[in-house]
Amino acid sequence: MPERFSDFVALFMGALAVGYIAWEIERRRRSLHDLWDVLDGEDMAMTTDLVEMVHRGELEPYARATLA
Amino acid sequence: MARGSGSSRRPRTETDTPRGTARSRPTAAAPRRRDVRHPGASASSPGLEEPAGREEASVIEPSAGAGQSARPDSAGPRFQIFIIDTGWDSPAHHVLQRNFGLLRDLQKGEPIYVLSRDKSIEFIHRHRALLVGKDPIIAVHDLDALGSTGAARCHGFRLHLGLLRTEEQALLALKAFSRFLSANRQTRDLEAVIRAQLRREGFLGAIEIIMHHEPRAIAG
Repeated sequence: MPERFSDFVALFMGALAVGYIAWEIERRRRSLHDLWDVLDGEDMAMTTDLVEMVHRGELEPYARATLA
Repeated sequence: MARGSGSSRRPRTETDTPRGTARSRPTAAAPRRRDVRHPGASASSPGLEEPAGREEASVIEPSAGAGQSARPDSAGPRFQIFIIDTGWDSPAHHVLQRNFGLLRDLQKGEPIYVLSRDKSIEFIHRHRALLVGKDPIIAVHDLDALGSTGAARCHGFRLHLGLLRTEEQALLALKAFSRFLSANRQTRDLEAVIRAQLRREGFLGAIEIIMHHEPRAIAG
């Protein structure tokens, strides 16, 4: 148990530093997750929609347009 | 079984039928990047030159070895790439327009589908809870995963370029995207690679976030 005031201050500052690093990591990670989203079950409808658009012929591979 | 799965959902890229689903959208000019030197280049194409020589900073460095395994080259295209862009006058839109050639050149037989402006609006409206405010969006479907486990499990990823505020950020993300696709075309367990490298999960991911300053620059 710290006895001097300076020990308390050091402990408090250390805890603040650790907390800040954890918060910053979480913030950056959340931002990355927003930017790069993994397609999973939640996105099934969207995936199906896109795939069906391809099957219906509404979408064509872009290369075809390039060669036109 | 979830729709969207099954090997029959892999369209073959045929290069003999000129079609233009993206004719009506601004990025339709992008694939003609090589033609912009012609006198008849459109007014919307001055920026179509790929910014060669710009900063090489990488957002995410895909390691070549992780998760790589022998996926036969004859297995057909691995990915299906969709570009959804409503045409907002945003930095990301301009970057995508100017650098579309980069994507096209790196696709290596993988079909890129560009939704027209109207289709993009319609599509985002249908899925507004997940997509509004995030376009331009590049969605990548992993055809191997779709064929084996369907759409109910991890079957690709999406890059929300529209979340980026500056052109520099968008360009870095686009470069990282292209690099990631190129490096992981043969990767068997794509989900693990995505989670490890793009989303930086776990303890190692935290260390990478600490060590790299790019995520802040990219993700704002």
